[in-house]
Amino acid sequence: MERAIKEEKRVFMTGNEVVAWGALAAEADIMYGYPITPQNEIMHYWTRLAPKHGKKFLQTEDELSAGFTTIGGVLAGRRAFTATAGPGNVLLQEPVTMAEMMRLPMVVCIQQRGGPSTATVIYSQQEVNLTTYGGNGESLRIVYSTANHQELYDYTIKSFNVAWRYRFPTFILGDGYQAKMREPLVMYNPREKGVEMVPPESFVGNKGSFGIDREPVHLRNAFSMEEELYEVVMEHIDDYNRITPQIVEYVSLGCEDADLVIVSHGIVSRAAVAAQEMLRREGYRIGYFRPITLRPFPVKALRKVCKSTPRFLVVESAYGQLARLVKDALFGLEAKMDEIFMPGLGITSEKIVGHVKKKSELKV
Amino acid sequence: MSRIIEAYVGEYASGKSENAVNRALELAKQGRKVVLVDLDLVEPFYTLRPLKNKLENMGIEVIAWETKDTFGLGEAGYVIKPEMRWALRRKGEIIFDVGYGVQGFKIFNLVEGALEEENLKIYAVVNISRPMTASVEDIIAYLNLFGRVDGIINNSHLGELTDIEIIEEGVQVIKEVSKITGIPVIAISVEKNLEFLAGKTSFEGFPVRFLERYMPQSLW
Repeated sequence: MERAIKEEKRVFMTGNEVVAWGALAAEADIMYGYPITPQNEIMHYWTRLAPKHGKKFLQTEDELSAGFTTIGGVLAGRRAFTATAGPGNVLLQEPVTMAEMMRLPMVVCIQQRGGPSTATVIYSQQEVNLTTYGGNGESLRIVYSTANHQELYDYTIKSFNVAWRYRFPTFILGDGYQAKMREPLVMYNPREKGVEMVPPESFVGNKGSFGIDREPVHLRNAFSMEEELYEVVMEHIDDYNRITPQIVEYVSLGCEDADLVIVSHGIVSRAAVAAQEMLRREGYRIGYFRPITLRPFPVKALRKVCKSTPRFLVVESAYGQLARLVKDALFGLEAKMDEIFMPGLGITSEKIVGHVKKKSELKV
Repeated sequence: MSRIIEAYVGEYASGKSENAVNRALELAKQGRKVVLVDLDLVEPFYTLRPLKNKLENMGIEVIAWETKDTFGLGEAGYVIKPEMRWALRRKGEIIFDVGYGVQGFKIFNLVEGALEEENLKIYAVVNISRPMTASVEDIIAYLNLFGRVDGIINNSHLGELTDIEIIEEGVQVIKEVSKITGIPVIAISVEKNLEFLAGKTSFEGFPVRFLERYMPQSLW
């Protein structure tokens, strides 16, 4: 099969298309999905690309099924993925926890929409709780929160490698604005950049006989003894904690001499960075911190920031879902917290600048 | 009676709405009565809705949903507004912004009298930076999906990274598409803030339309 993306190319796309092309560049084999706004064009573009590149697609009856069939594809040795939003993300939590329990790789793209329930189809950052900690059990998963189309492309590719290398469910967390918005980016073939794609392996139906010429495959999501479960879960937690330093990613700008640090994630970061620059130009000493991985959270890095600047303004299109992760990371340290919480609404740089000037009583 | 009736179609995010809005305003500036129809049944409440009042204040009639009419419909509201169905019965020049690619165009037959209308021109807006319509072959295959295209508008750009190379490459690709298919090139669209580039290229002699950007004020 001809390589889908041969050389670097500047393109102009919507975010949903970027995810479909990113999955193609990551050599994904199959997408399973059920339609929901605002992620539909991931499916639309994947189904337009699939026949040209020998890929597959299965539309399932709902997101529960999309999640479990994705696991089926993974078990059969395929690089499989799914995408959803809002109430679909709720349904997807059950299959995601099965992948977590069985230590199977799984890639999911979430384009957050307004909640609760069906709410709006457009935009929010209200799926942070759900995506970081929404499963029963310990929610051991990796969550990348992207802020632009280049990142959507880069982290879609990265998610496949991280999921298959460490065998934890991996999310690309976007939102309806990123999904629908248009902007330029550079598409590339990861292999041309020296990125080796971790090969998928089949977990079932392998050749040979176990106990004779290969190890048995033992995948379990059910345990009858509490002690037995405890042992397995603790082993997974140890693995997760061990890889955390290799996984965490964040952006920290001008926090060293700051009087106040703005914290945001995802698309709101675009407004937050612009606000920080505007305020800096006016002489305010403002820093900026953005977790790229919401799970595992960059706890160490944020605690370090807190030691020089114990004053934060958390800005998010949700009512404190990011703030909860921030407070948890800072537990035990003395810090002052202010907030701009606008569930389901976009946040502009002007809004942040206005808030800082009016409420923070900072001096230039 | 001869009048201007144009339907702007094309790949998702190719620039149909921006081109349709600019065309409608250009005609209005010439003193004509213009009706702009937001014919998008896939995302019916997003494209021109946030711009409706602004555009009407600029002198064109806009047939699009009002925010207050969309309450309770949400994403399930795949309904055609009656004024859209009967748009061709209105006086003046009619510009249709037909959203959502080939699938979106399939509902064009719901407009009464559209396909029998002898003045109707269907113009495909093409941006070669959109990966699905990047090459001569891909564009021709894509245009064929519409069944009928009367003209091509080259809208090749890279957003804020647009430069003379991408514009010229677009012109060459579209010229080739036109040569093979026989579909005329109606115009080359270039964002107004790049007007200074006009002196640096001939655009192969095609008419140029400089676009004012309105869509960033819309939701998407």
